[in-house]
Amino acid sequence: MPAGSQDSAKRKRASTGKVTKVAKRRLSSDEEAEDLNGKILLMEQGILESKKNYNDIANLLSIASGYEDGEEESTLAAVALCRIFLRLLAQGSLVAKKNQSEKEAVVFSWLKDQYSQYKSLLQDMLKDKDLAVTALTLCMRTLKAEGEHLHNKEEYTFPQAFLEGIVATLITSDSDDVGKAFLESYVEEFDDIRYYTFKSVKTILGRFNKDDIPDGLFDRAFALLSALDGVPQSAEELEDFYIPRPKKKSHNLRSAIQHKRQGQDAWLAILSIVQSKDERKRILSVISTNIAPWFTRPELLSDFLTSCYNAGGSMSLLALSGVFYLIQERNLDYPSFYPKLYSLLDKDILHSKHRSRFFRLLDTFLASTHLPAALVASFVKRLARLSLNAPPSAIATVIPWTYNLLKRHPTCTFMIHRVVQDPELKKHIQDNGADDSFDPKETDPIETGAIDSSLWELVQLQSHYHPNVATIAKIVSEQFTKQSYNMEDFLDHSYASLLDAEIGKEIKKAPVVEFHIPKRVFLPQDEPATNPDSLLVKLWDFGEPANGVAAA
Amino acid sequence: MAGSQLKRLKASLRDQGITGPQKSKKQRRKLAQDGTARNDKRLQRGVVLEGIREQFNPFDLKHAARGPKFEVTTNKPKTSNASVKGRPGLAKAASEEKRKQTLLVDMQRRNKVGGILDRRFGENDPTMTPEEKMLERFAREKQKTHNKKSAFDLEDDEPMDGLTHMGRSLDFGEEEELADDFQEDDLKDDEDSDGDTREKRLKRLRAIIAAGEEEGGEDGEPERKKTKKEVMEEVIAKSKLHKYERQAAKDDDDDLRAELDKELPDIRKLLWSGLNGGKHQENAPLSTIAGVDRDAFDKNFDIQVKKLAQDKKAQPSNRTKTDDEKAEEESTRLKRLEEKRQKRMMGEEVSDSDEDEDDKKKDTAGGRQEDDEDEDDDDDDDGFGLGHGIKTRPTATELGFDDEDDFVIDDDLVASGSDLELVESDDDFDEEEEDDSDSANQAQVDEDDDDEFTKGLLNESETKDPIFQANFSSKEKSDENGLPFTFPCPQSCAEFVSITQDYDHTNLPKIVQRIRALHHPKLDSKNKERLANFSVALVDFVALPWNAATSPPFSVLESLIRHIHSLSKMFPVEIAKQFRQHLEEISQSRPIALLPSDLTVLTAIGTIYPTSDHFHQVVTPAMLTISRYIGQKVPRELSDYAIGTYLSILCLQYQQLSKRYVPEVINFALNTICSLSPVASSKSLGNFPVHEPSAGSRIQKAKKVELRRLNFSDCLAENSQEGGNALKLALLGTTIQVLDAAADLWTAKPAFLETFSQVVEVLSHVNSKPSKEHLPTAASEKTERLEEKLKRMSRVSQLARRPLELHHHKPLSIKTYIPKFEDTFDPDKHYDPDRERAEMAKLKKEHKKERKGAMRELRKDANFMARENLRIKKAKDEAYEKKYKRLVAEIQNEEGREANNYEREQKARKRANARR
Repeated sequence: MPAGSQDSAKRKRASTGKVTKVAKRRLSSDEEAEDLNGKILLMEQGILESKKNYNDIANLLSIASGYEDGEEESTLAAVALCRIFLRLLAQGSLVAKKNQSEKEAVVFSWLKDQYSQYKSLLQDMLKDKDLAVTALTLCMRTLKAEGEHLHNKEEYTFPQAFLEGIVATLITSDSDDVGKAFLESYVEEFDDIRYYTFKSVKTILGRFNKDDIPDGLFDRAFALLSALDGVPQSAEELEDFYIPRPKKKSHNLRSAIQHKRQGQDAWLAILSIVQSKDERKRILSVISTNIAPWFTRPELLSDFLTSCYNAGGSMSLLALSGVFYLIQERNLDYPSFYPKLYSLLDKDILHSKHRSRFFRLLDTFLASTHLPAALVASFVKRLARLSLNAPPSAIATVIPWTYNLLKRHPTCTFMIHRVVQDPELKKHIQDNGADDSFDPKETDPIETGAIDSSLWELVQLQSHYHPNVATIAKIVSEQFTKQSYNMEDFLDHSYASLLDAEIGKEIKKAPVVEFHIPKRVFLPQDEPATNPDSLLVKLWDFGEPANGVAAA
Repeated sequence: MAGSQLKRLKASLRDQGITGPQKSKKQRRKLAQDGTARNDKRLQRGVVLEGIREQFNPFDLKHAARGPKFEVTTNKPKTSNASVKGRPGLAKAASEEKRKQTLLVDMQRRNKVGGILDRRFGENDPTMTPEEKMLERFAREKQKTHNKKSAFDLEDDEPMDGLTHMGRSLDFGEEEELADDFQEDDLKDDEDSDGDTREKRLKRLRAIIAAGEEEGGEDGEPERKKTKKEVMEEVIAKSKLHKYERQAAKDDDDDLRAELDKELPDIRKLLWSGLNGGKHQENAPLSTIAGVDRDAFDKNFDIQVKKLAQDKKAQPSNRTKTDDEKAEEESTRLKRLEEKRQKRMMGEEVSDSDEDEDDKKKDTAGGRQEDDEDEDDDDDDDGFGLGHGIKTRPTATELGFDDEDDFVIDDDLVASGSDLELVESDDDFDEEEEDDSDSANQAQVDEDDDDEFTKGLLNESETKDPIFQANFSSKEKSDENGLPFTFPCPQSCAEFVSITQDYDHTNLPKIVQRIRALHHPKLDSKNKERLANFSVALVDFVALPWNAATSPPFSVLESLIRHIHSLSKMFPVEIAKQFRQHLEEISQSRPIALLPSDLTVLTAIGTIYPTSDHFHQVVTPAMLTISRYIGQKVPRELSDYAIGTYLSILCLQYQQLSKRYVPEVINFALNTICSLSPVASSKSLGNFPVHEPSAGSRIQKAKKVELRRLNFSDCLAENSQEGGNALKLALLGTTIQVLDAAADLWTAKPAFLETFSQVVEVLSHVNSKPSKEHLPTAASEKTERLEEKLKRMSRVSQLARRPLELHHHKPLSIKTYIPKFEDTFDPDKHYDPDRERAEMAKLKKEHKKERKGAMRELRKDANFMARENLRIKKAKDEAYEKKYKRLVAEIQNEEGREANNYEREQKARKRANARR
């Protein structure tokens, strides 16, 4: 890691060198520009040589601030200024000394003023699309120098305000490149930058009023934070520092917990600015992989998750895994988890695109053999009922799942095999038919009475039009010899995949042809009395009404 | 036991009554009188003595090294005399005795013939031929004589030619030799009279050689040395003799062979009588006759051999079958086919049971992936599909075709189409088996086949004629002028369009018919291919985009579809492929934006192929295409609803026979009604997904509008805009009819209640007051009627409902892990279930045992021989010693005597001297 970071640092330097070179080359093409460039270089030289020439800093600043007009020299000036300030910082000219003469104090305060002007200039440049990446590099080099030299060497100080300014600019600007460059070359690379970036994000987001959050702020903040998934687990992992690390071991920067806490705070700040459903869904989709690991106290997420879970629909589906994570890992008390889960089994679930994801989770939730049989039976019955209106791919999922559950909870097998022994009840069934004790309106899965019902729905699906689905449905009435079905084989199907499977097969044998060639396909039969029309002809008008149209 | 060995012996002898106090004379006499008793006693005494001897010589018996073992089950069953394992002394003595009788004799007779040591070179070397032996012996002899030469050998210079008498050689020896030889030969011949000639010859040869040798060795040598010439002559003579002997042996063999050849016919007769009854008996005398003449015989023999070979190979199993048998076979074949057909028919009528069978197969394989299952389907579908075709037959008859001919033709077509393979394969089978006489029959069958094809086609076109005439009788005449009788066979849809564009659409069927007649496969070998392309082009033509103004009317499309149908009996694969290609195109480019032409294609598929099949290569994808549209389409335009409604109708028609459940139909119909109903429902009406209808889709203020039927132009988006309330009402009315038909179709389904309770809810919503106000009375009446009907059906379904009892399976037995017990288990026996391995193990064990025994015996033999040799050597040494001592003693004796003599002499001389 250290080697890598050094490399990247070198690369950075090399690239900045290239920038200057490019700038130089550009100058050579243009006479006038060359003059100006030479002047800039001369000024730089002069400033570095003697304090007398400090006034040129102001000149350079004015040249650099001309970037908005697209003047090329401004870049060069900015680079020259960067070098100047780096030198000055290294010299200690920007550090207040105790016994300064009045004149020196004036120069010092003037330099400081120039320096802060330069910094704000750089931040402004960050907003410019073309110069942003160069400006970022200059910013970060200045940042490094400032961190190293601006204060007393013994005490560790991070130029937090400057970084905050940079991050704020990045978050509010709409240039993606620079954000990405910042993320990849600095935040992901260096632990201290990441630490202070989290901190900055938190304070920046805290500044916004809840009511008027600009568009795209969430997107950029989310993009910035969601890319950071390298959660440090111990202090030893923290070894990449942009600015030499503090010597004190107890410093916050050197504790993994503090890093996590900053991450947690930053994420909480983001959660607080979430507005639209879509944003919530985006957060939910990464919550267990990218967000939860930062949380030293994941229960802080529970408010967000439970509110999402209670929202219903696909939001609940997405929140499900997060809630389950909390229940499992953090002992979150969610008393109505199963009733809520049961309520998720609505008419859309089998048609949802999150179906397979949901079934994977559902399989986990109902994996325990210690669940009450009545509850399991309710889930089975409910899904069986829903599969009466489901696409074939969903039925192909539901049935093996049902099989697995029945195998796991043998008490539930009464739902597919119930011999009535009571003679009175037998007579009642003889006379009135079997009552279905299942109450589909009941929301509590314990109370639905599904355990006393039968799965007639699955039997009906044994005559499903799709041969494979019908075959799968038959497993319910076969002997339960197989231990369990691997759900992964049944989860990811769709009309398209089923159709492709059929079409993809070559015809090897000649298909059977109906032996009887019907006399009429579209038109009504000549003699409807002996030879009734097909359903199609009865219900559809094919344009040529013959004499004997059967009234439907 | 105390006391010395002797004391104990005495005691035991006394105990046994062998010794004892002296018996009185009286007693002794008494005993002597009783002879038998005495005999007994003597025997008894012997036994007793034996016992005592054993008792006092414990080393005669071998005992187990340790005491008796504890009783355990795997102990070998004890023999009667458990403690004594053997009698080493006795065994040793016996083996020693046996060796003395066999091995010792062998040893003593080694290298000896008849008591004389046979030192002849190579006598016992089987690798040498007699000539070699002779030569070698000659060489040795020469060497020997040469070596023996010494400076003082007087015989060397003057060679002796045998005994001479007065300078003449005596030749009686030679005569004697010959005489002896012949005598011996005769003797041997007599002895071996019954042995076979070869053996005889060999023996004789050996005897001759031996005789010659003996003479050479015994007689010749002591007599004199043979000269070189003599020896050479002898050798040559001997080799000639051998040559002659070999010749004679060969002749003997030839004689024997000839004898055997003569007997061959008899042998063959014997063989054939067992093999083939009396059929070839007449040949037997012929061959015997031929046996005299050699050439004829050989030829005959070859023929016979060939016949034998052919007989065996080409003998057909049913060659000798009589006509009766053949008829019976034919009838069983027909019966089998009939049974198969019956089975398929049953499968048709109870299509569920057929599916069950399929499924059972699949389920045994357990949780295979769906792909596997698909493949299964693929495998199964043929049998199933065939069955299906026949299944619809009874319904066809039920439908009561008035046109008897038509029905018959159809039957023919079915036969040629579906059973074609079967017939062909049967023919092939027959071909192999049938004789020439049957080939005519075969040809007839082929002809029949062809006839069936042509007849079917011709008849079909004939039967079609009246239909077409009926339809187009008015135009027929005018067309007769404009319509040429010959058309080229179009190879693509574009060609077909260009050919037909000049003529009116109504002529299309006529044109197609003429093309088919002109290019009948019988007329040209290439026509089959052309027609195949043409049929594909026809499919494409039907699938051309539909347009109310320009497209051919449905009556024409209908007859084109019927043409495709009849062509697809000839080209099932090509047409099916084309249909599937259209389906693929739909699924790839417009899965939920179907065109009216797609609806035509789907309808055509529904009529051409049996839609009730469990799996069908064309129908299943088509069904999926339909359900994909009505399941996934979110209708925006009224035309979407119209297409969906059409497809729903089509779905129901597909499932008319098999009555399979299509959830999408219910979903779509209910969603359509909800979207069209004048007011939105405040609560959820069922489990079907509701799509928010687009603005203006609800029926508003249509009290006065007439109900009409939907038509194809409603499916076009641009038309559907104008339709307004009339179209909406038509949609509503049709959807209600669809639900009606669906309820009829699925009335027996176990979850009818659950499925149609939602329908009832939706209908009651439409019937509610706020909605009713906007609907014409005809529509609301319809709705009410259906609602009533569904309620009635629901009550019936509720009455018929029973708790599920799906698992009346035979309970699965719990796996047992108890080993299989042998009642009569023998630990020495190997219970190896693998027979070969067991046998191999047995052989190995036996081999090992034998090997050990043989090694032991050999070792003992070697010991015995060493002992014997030692004994002989000792005896020899002893004899030598004895002799030596004797000689020494003799010499000493003599010396002593001589010394005495000498002394005496000396004394005598002294005395004499003294005297002197």
